[in-house]
Amino acid sequence: MTDLFPGFLTLSAAMFALGALGVMVRRNPLVVFMSIELMLNGGNLALVTYARYTQTMAGQVFALIVIAVAASEVVVGLALITLVYRSGRHLDVDELSEMSE
Amino acid sequence: MTVIFGIAAVMAFLGAAGVVLSRRTIYSALSLVTNMIALAVLFLLLDAQFLAAVQIIVYAGAVMVLFVFIIALLAPGAEERLRPLELRVLVGGIAAVGFTLLVARLALNGITVSASGQFHGGLGPFSPQAVNAHGQVQTLGEQLFTTFLLPFEVTSVLLLVAAVGAVYLSRHRRTVR
Repeated sequence: MTDLFPGFLTLSAAMFALGALGVMVRRNPLVVFMSIELMLNGGNLALVTYARYTQTMAGQVFALIVIAVAASEVVVGLALITLVYRSGRHLDVDELSEMSE
Repeated sequence: MTVIFGIAAVMAFLGAAGVVLSRRTIYSALSLVTNMIALAVLFLLLDAQFLAAVQIIVYAGAVMVLFVFIIALLAPGAEERLRPLELRVLVGGIAAVGFTLLVARLALNGITVSASGQFHGGLGPFSPQAVNAHGQVQTLGEQLFTTFLLPFEVTSVLLLVAAVGAVYLSRHRRTVR
């Protein structure tokens, strides 16, 4: 049953592309973080799809690890965002460019 | 099965589009919850029951509750609407559609599946029947603690570092401007 295999892969690619688009065009750092979650989820879907259709276990194991990585990334990222907000700056990634100067 | 896949795929896609296109942050968060629940359904279709449960509990539960808490705490205002003719939106949209079409083309008759519908590396021993006979969680756990022990341990170190880092960052400091 490889009939739905292209469907799963295309959906995962669409989710990844939408997440990348969100990272590129949105200015709110919270939405940027949600878009990163979207990209990780798209990758997860591809991993589980390949695990199912090649009948191996590595994809599922690494999907589990990706979920753990995403959770720790959200914890640190949201702590950074609240820190930036508390220091009185506007929540806009385009205005947070002073580190590059 | 195809019908369930269609419904879940449309839900997942609309949720993903909602994250990027919503003007209010809270609508983006709710779209992401929709996307993750649809993704859990897709995991069930792929015979990954444990991952579907983890997806609901960790993502739609813990991570999104954290997001909604932060959104309620910071109360960010609505952004201006995305203008589709702005250069970066236009280029990003074209790149996203192109990438999706490329992967669809490759998945339909591409590099990973040969013309007869077989995978090049052959099939592994973990067919859904074998996994379910042994137990889904048992199989995953045995793999996690034997073949994939090193990534598992590295992940636990990463979680520790993330917890320490979050505590350090959220410590109240008066020196911060």
